Amino acid sequence: MAPVTPFNSTEITEKARRDLLLLLEGVRGKKNLVLEKALAGPLNLLVKFSTLQEYGVDKPFFLENDNADSSQRNVVFLVRGEKASTVVAVADQIKRIRRDSQIEHEFSIFWVPRRTVVSDQLLEEAGVLGEASVSEWPLFFVPLANDVMSLELDDSVSDLYLRKDPTSIYLAAKALMQQQQKYGLFPRIIGKGDNAKRLADLLIRMRTEVTAAGESNSNSHTSFLGLTPSSTIDSLIIVDREVDFPTVLLTQLTYEGLIDEVFNISANQIEVDSSVVGGAAPQQGQTGSASTSMKRKVNVDPHDSLYSELADANFAIVGNLLNKVARRLQSSTERNQLAAKTTAELREFVAKLPGYQAEQTSLKLHTSLAEEIIKFTRTDMFTRSLEVQQNIMSGADPSTQHDLISELIARDVPLPTILRLICLESTTNAGMRPKDLEFFKRAITQAYGPQHLLTLSSLEQMGLLSPRGGASLGLPAARPGSVTNYTPLRKSLRLWDDDVNEADPNDVSYVFSGYAPLSVRLVQSIIQKQTLANLIKPPSHPSASASANPLAQGLRIFDDATKYIRGATFDETQTGEEKAVKARSMLNGNHGDAAKTIVVFFLGGVTRAEIAALRYLALKLKQSGGEGRGSRIIIATTGVIRGEDLVGSAIEKGRFQY
Amino acid sequence: MSKPTANWEKLGDKFYRKIQLYTAVFDQDLELENYNVVGAPYSGAVAIYRNEEKIHTYRSAGSAKASIDIYSCAGKLLRSIGWDKGTIKDVGWGEDEKLLVVTEDGAVRCYYDLQGDFIPFTLGHGAEEHGVVSCKFYSSGFVALLGNNHLVSVSNYNEPRPKLLAIPPPEPVVSWAIIPPAYSLSRSVEVILAIGTTLYVVDATDAEDRDFSAGPFRHISVSPKGEFLAFYTDDGKVWVVSGDWSEKLSEYSSRAKTVPKDMQWCGSNAVALAWEDEVHLIGPRSAAMKYYYDTWVHLLPDVDGLRLLTNDVCEYLQKVPDETVEVFRLGSDAPAAHLLEASSLLEQKSPKADDLIQLIRPSLAEAVDTCVKAAGQEYNIHWQKALLKAASYGKSVLDLYSSDDFVDMCETLRVLNAARFYEIGLPLSYDQFKRLTPERLIERLTNRHEYLTTIRIAEYLHLSTSHIHVHWAQQKVRHSVADEETICKLIVTKLHNKPGVSFEEIARAAYDEGRVRLATELLNYEPRAGKQVPLLLGMKEDMIALDKAIESGDTDLIFHVLRYLRKSLPLASFFRVINTRPVATALVESSAWDSDRDLLKDLYYQDDRRLDGCNLLLSEALSQNDLHASLDKLKLASKYLQDSKDHTFQRQQLDDAQKLLRLQEQFEKDLAPSSSNAPLSSSVDKFVGLSANETIFTLIRANHNKRAQKVQSEFKIPDKTYTWLRLRALVAARHWNELEEISKTKKSAIGWEPFFKEILAAGNTRVASVFIPKCTSLSPAERAEMWAKCGLLVKAGEEAVKAKDRALLEEIKSKASGSATVELERMLSMMGQGKR
Repeated sequence: MAPVTPFNSTEITEKARRDLLLLLEGVRGKKNLVLEKALAGPLNLLVKFSTLQEYGVDKPFFLENDNADSSQRNVVFLVRGEKASTVVAVADQIKRIRRDSQIEHEFSIFWVPRRTVVSDQLLEEAGVLGEASVSEWPLFFVPLANDVMSLELDDSVSDLYLRKDPTSIYLAAKALMQQQQKYGLFPRIIGKGDNAKRLADLLIRMRTEVTAAGESNSNSHTSFLGLTPSSTIDSLIIVDREVDFPTVLLTQLTYEGLIDEVFNISANQIEVDSSVVGGAAPQQGQTGSASTSMKRKVNVDPHDSLYSELADANFAIVGNLLNKVARRLQSSTERNQLAAKTTAELREFVAKLPGYQAEQTSLKLHTSLAEEIIKFTRTDMFTRSLEVQQNIMSGADPSTQHDLISELIARDVPLPTILRLICLESTTNAGMRPKDLEFFKRAITQAYGPQHLLTLSSLEQMGLLSPRGGASLGLPAARPGSVTNYTPLRKSLRLWDDDVNEADPNDVSYVFSGYAPLSVRLVQSIIQKQTLANLIKPPSHPSASASANPLAQGLRIFDDATKYIRGATFDETQTGEEKAVKARSMLNGNHGDAAKTIVVFFLGGVTRAEIAALRYLALKLKQSGGEGRGSRIIIATTGVIRGEDLVGSAIEKGRFQY
Repeated sequence: MSKPTANWEKLGDKFYRKIQLYTAVFDQDLELENYNVVGAPYSGAVAIYRNEEKIHTYRSAGSAKASIDIYSCAGKLLRSIGWDKGTIKDVGWGEDEKLLVVTEDGAVRCYYDLQGDFIPFTLGHGAEEHGVVSCKFYSSGFVALLGNNHLVSVSNYNEPRPKLLAIPPPEPVVSWAIIPPAYSLSRSVEVILAIGTTLYVVDATDAEDRDFSAGPFRHISVSPKGEFLAFYTDDGKVWVVSGDWSEKLSEYSSRAKTVPKDMQWCGSNAVALAWEDEVHLIGPRSAAMKYYYDTWVHLLPDVDGLRLLTNDVCEYLQKVPDETVEVFRLGSDAPAAHLLEASSLLEQKSPKADDLIQLIRPSLAEAVDTCVKAAGQEYNIHWQKALLKAASYGKSVLDLYSSDDFVDMCETLRVLNAARFYEIGLPLSYDQFKRLTPERLIERLTNRHEYLTTIRIAEYLHLSTSHIHVHWAQQKVRHSVADEETICKLIVTKLHNKPGVSFEEIARAAYDEGRVRLATELLNYEPRAGKQVPLLLGMKEDMIALDKAIESGDTDLIFHVLRYLRKSLPLASFFRVINTRPVATALVESSAWDSDRDLLKDLYYQDDRRLDGCNLLLSEALSQNDLHASLDKLKLASKYLQDSKDHTFQRQQLDDAQKLLRLQEQFEKDLAPSSSNAPLSSSVDKFVGLSANETIFTLIRANHNKRAQKVQSEFKIPDKTYTWLRLRALVAARHWNELEEISKTKKSAIGWEPFFKEILAAGNTRVASVFIPKCTSLSPAERAEMWAKCGLLVKAGEEAVKAKDRALLEEIKSKASGSATVELERMLSMMGQGKR
């Protein structure tokens, strides 16, 4: 019996797809689809628009635009039901359509990912519950790539850190629980951060609840085994974003990271000016209304071989890689043409042609994207802010950077860039001197408008900006565990790598050209102890290095480091009944320690650069003789974020205007 | 033991058998002809109620009371539901043995557990005025025909939403039938109406005339899987048409003078016509067979056959399954038949047994399979055993044979026999059992309160027993007369630590029964916090409900409780409740930002959260449509912080914001195009809403330097910032002269390089070059580069000469052309001389 692979992306995609199509099938005849903007991305990733059409979808509308018309009898809403405001919006639209339309409509609402009690109440209060047939589309994880599962909760950052609304923790727990029920318990849950702890607690609590519920609907066989520790999953590592904000605030320097910074990848798609990528016909099969004539939607598909080669590389070497591919393509097509003498050879060559062509278009796309990014990286603004970032991360005195930041403010660079720099300083140095903080606050309100007093106050709420615990404001000195202290960490985890090698990386620090993300180091301290130990404290005798670095024992590095990091630390093991454990290992065949899956869950979002770093780790683990014994790393998260999204959730959008 | 073929009869080329399931079903006094009888699918319970249209003998006041009686197939009275709610128009069953009762005025009751608990709903769509005529039921819903021929469809009973189907013509309906959504082509329910001489097919969107002229059709019947339709015409003919209407398959003339009272499918291969005491079974190609009874007979169709019910017997009429035919048919030479024979010879210790086995040796595996399957189809325990023994014998001869099917069948038969036992009265056929699934069989048995049998069966089949336990406990709570403590103890000792037992459900039953204390007690044993919340709210245990909701981590539940509390509590106590619970406070705050700002204001005031209150006012100021309203709000916001020492900075910022807005208003007034103050500004600049820096920028761009300086001094904007703003504004406005003026000044707060860069970026090389000599802090090479960027290569060369950098000079020369080359050549040579 082949062992089942947990967190299988195709399986998850297929299930989500089936669920949705089944729901659509339940609504007879043609229908108009009204969906939330935030769901357009995931939907597009899972189902082609042409498939939706086959299932009777006539016209798609965005809920936010409030323009769904009455051209079809059936109107289907596809929305997230967690927020009261969305529910009210749905109710209002139903009422509007009902009022304006001549014909009688059939309304269906598919709540994502679940139907809530509150949504029912709100619909009832609005007097539309009786008219709409309500069902749910249990969409939790959306696989973005084979090893990246995202819940695609766009609001999770502002919910968790600004509004302290734990909805995303609950949804994350639900999603992970689903996987646990299928593949068995995570034998170990380890992590860092207050919210992460809450998630772990919730998972443990849900386990007892599921045991209590007895899973009466599905057959008893899986539930009996489902709640014993899995033999294919090694552990779940939960990292709370709060633990490591700086990594998000920094400008990502991998190719994919920069694409994200410049074009903003949303569900593996970017919008690019058509002048950049050429005016080829817009791709078929996109959900959502047609983009404006100037913008074109481009897929950055992790399954594209060229892209997967480039995505995680440092941007500095992308040019070279592109060159190499171009040369290879050219030579292989030419040589083959010349060499093809026999018909068999010719046939072989022709069979390969579509592959070449696909590669050619992909090459063209990425060359133009890279050019566009180079344009961006050559700007003064980019180099200056990168300079500030690198200085701060390498441990330079932050006050030396203030002039540069003020200059950038005076030159009116976009606010998010400034906020990223200031927050970066604050989060890496456990706050700013109150005097400096006030100086920047004034500078920002003066440069960008008084409405940003709200922005600044939101940033403080999120812990991105804080005065350093001094006596002047009457605040108590920072309690241990309430802020992350980078000064000792820089050394004990070797967060800064002076001799970074971007072309042929030997450490995860390559993704930021020097800085090794704290979050990834934490993960490393759990799953790649030996390598990390040797990196921090190179062994004195090369011969003794094999496995004897004392730092690598147990969780020493992790324990040492977590002392200086904010938030709770936890390490839970989940065991099941002995009998059941045996049964499971019998069933799955005992494959010892080999090839287990490690799930790294980023609560509050993950950056593309971190994904790249973790992929690098995974690659190292897979290599024979490594410590991982061929383990697989799955990155799960509430959503993929960028620094701009992080500070953006705090930025006040309103302004004085009349 | 009678032959298994004794009850077989041949219909066309197929055999049909009539199995006697139970005898002495009903009391002889029960006049079955005066009752309507409906049976639940999969050999479920039978509901009978008096047919109001028939006269019946008056007995006594007591027995004349209307009721719906539910019997098992064996005639055991399961429940009698008293009825006093108007005229019953139709009664039907849904899957899971839900009993639906529809009255004339469109009221529907869904009895979900055979015990008299029901969920009521109404049909609406004019059912009240026009009255319900009749209904047709399918597994998960039904369609009602109203007096005005409107059709109302209900597609599920959990959330019944009656929907009006397309409207057929209003002529009287002779008869009608439905195709359940699972079997219709459109996957939604379709209705066939016989109106006049033709047939209409009605679905949600249209009513289509099928253009028949052979009507009126007295009966319409749809086969269990919707693949065939049968019609009974006025002249006594039965038509069978394929489900997609594409072809007429057969026509049979019954030559009967009277119209039969009922017509139903028996499985998918034959149609049964029933008169008072006579049943005709019609097969393909007009083959027919007749059964005669002494008393009134009712037809109860099922998925693979037909139950026939009279006072005396309950019989099952079905096509003999293929495997059974193979084994038992007279003269069958199928391997399975030989195997059975061999097995019985073995029993008699006859040596011929082995000969037979050798004879069928090549197809022995197949024979075993057939025997196992045939055993499943057998109702008679003797023959079940005989067939299984034969299979077992055949199995022992085979070298390799997977016994899974055999074992499964043995288990299934034990369960089936237990269910068929007359005291239980569920005569399931094997196919019905497979379709019903063991889980739902357990549910049916639970609803019949056969707890012991049910638990034994569940354990035997390795199914969860928790539901049965809960059901038992609920009944205990409802009906036990013992005092509450004893009940609680009894339930807890029996069920505690049993996985899957929901104490919440038990507690709810107790609460519904009015035993509040018992409910609270029981609820404490519920491990799922979330489950407890709704009941706790119902029990007015608000605080505990809130705590449990928070414990569960489910924000939906927390919101639910909070909304409830907000409505039921005075504001002050509401705040007191959430104050001690940070998660609740956070959720109230975040939802109030969107919807209820006043609540937020009160909250902040109550908690003395000045900064938050001030921010709220600031955000309100931003959303005002009028400048002065905004200013008022800002003033309020500033005042909000008046007494606190910690927020002087914030307060100052708010005051600055007001100052800035006033200044901007002033500028707009002063610089309006009508006023002569601003002859230079050709277009109107908007100021209100800009930041201080933007204001300065806009002012300088429009040449209002005095005003810009005023803004600078008002807001203490640093010189560096001001210089940058000035530079950018002047470049943006292309005020080159002014920039050249600046180049004559001695000092700049930001150095001179930015000037060069900005101006060069704007494309004016001439003005840009003016600044190059001033960049004294740069290296000559950099300066040379700057010259070169302005296109002044000679100047760049001079820079190189000054620095005595020959390589640089050569590099510059390589870029040059025309007269510049000559000049550079000269320089190069001069330099060469100097060096040598």
